[in-house]
Amino acid sequence: MRLEKCWFCSSTVYPGHGIQFVRNDAKIFRFCRSKCHKNFKMKRNPRKVKWTKAYRRLHGKDMTQDSTFEFERKRNRPERYDRNVAEKTLMAIKKIDKIRVAREARHHKMRMKGKPAIERQAALTELEKSINLVKAPASLLQESQITPKIKVKIAESQPVERMEE
Amino acid sequence: MSTLPVKQNSKPFLSPLHSAAALVPRLSSPLFVARTLKVLAASDHGYYVFESELADVIPVVKTSIAGTRIVGRLCAGNKNGLLLPHTTTDQELQHLRNSLPDHVVVQRIDERLSALGNCISCNDHVALTHPDLDRETEELIADVLGVEVFRQTIAGNIVVGSYCAFSNRGGLVHPHTSVEDLDELSTLLQVPLVAGTVNRGSEVIAAGMTVNDWTAFCGSDTTATELSVIESVFKLREAQPSSIVDEMRKSLIDTYV
Repeated sequence: MRLEKCWFCSSTVYPGHGIQFVRNDAKIFRFCRSKCHKNFKMKRNPRKVKWTKAYRRLHGKDMTQDSTFEFERKRNRPERYDRNVAEKTLMAIKKIDKIRVAREARHHKMRMKGKPAIERQAALTELEKSINLVKAPASLLQESQITPKIKVKIAESQPVERMEE
Repeated sequence: MSTLPVKQNSKPFLSPLHSAAALVPRLSSPLFVARTLKVLAASDHGYYVFESELADVIPVVKTSIAGTRIVGRLCAGNKNGLLLPHTTTDQELQHLRNSLPDHVVVQRIDERLSALGNCISCNDHVALTHPDLDRETEELIADVLGVEVFRQTIAGNIVVGSYCAFSNRGGLVHPHTSVEDLDELSTLLQVPLVAGTVNRGSEVIAAGMTVNDWTAFCGSDTTATELSVIESVFKLREAQPSSIVDEMRKSLIDTYV
């Protein structure tokens, strides 16, 4: 039993799910559900379909290169079974998963980092453009016609002497 | 350790192999790996013939490949390594790795032509391959099996692994191989070759018999003439496994209890 990856969306295909298609050149395509299978039959390129992992990786939405991905590669030269190694591997799997999740979260955070600044800038431009939704254009015009107050400098007068009572 | 009696090589085999030969029209289940070290057998009725003959000489490993019992046609091996198709499951791969000694490299290959037993025919020094094999596969063969690789056809057939069987001492090829081809192959492989048949005139040699340096197993339909040809070309009459296996004893036994 082996948990394969869907060719289209890269999600895991568990036993009892999905369809495998074997092409005439002996290449095997595994699909997790009919959605992916139908998209494949429509000859859609997964790299252009927004919800697939291939798209997300290509457009930098998800982490592409990381050392944690190396652990999941398929190996063709097995090693002799050793119980200790197997035990340690099981513990390592859990830890590696945790680390990978943490790194993906960090990647997401870095990606979203400049968001408040961008939002503020967008709000300002929006305000300038669509001010007519807030204040009527006539009143805006009036405001611009009102002469601004003129400030005049006055020499400081002597303080008034108080009559002492 | 008892030596194998010579006469067993010249006896046609018993009915269990016949039924195996009937179900799967060729004797496609066994494979001698490492030429002298192990036998991989399909884990159903055919195997106990191998176990009864070979169990005290070399370990017999019961396995399936890609869930099938046609192990001999799917994998190719010699004393240095074993090549398996990409359809081999991880569990089977691990089982083989655990059962074989450490110096035998077990490798799974990503190759379009996945019946490696039909595409690759090899002994410990030379391999003949299907001419359409990938270059990376050819390099892997040279690397894992430690052999010199030749892309060849036999009697015009590209499926070399099934139309010839050779060991370190001799070889049997498709009956329609011309004399010039035979000479050419003989010089390539550096072993004496004979064009012959197996299983009452079947041209598919390697699917009807399995051979290593000191013994051979043929389908029960093989006639006495064919058997004598096989015996003479593979030099089985004088071969005694005792001498060869004594040398290999160290690699067969891990610890003395």
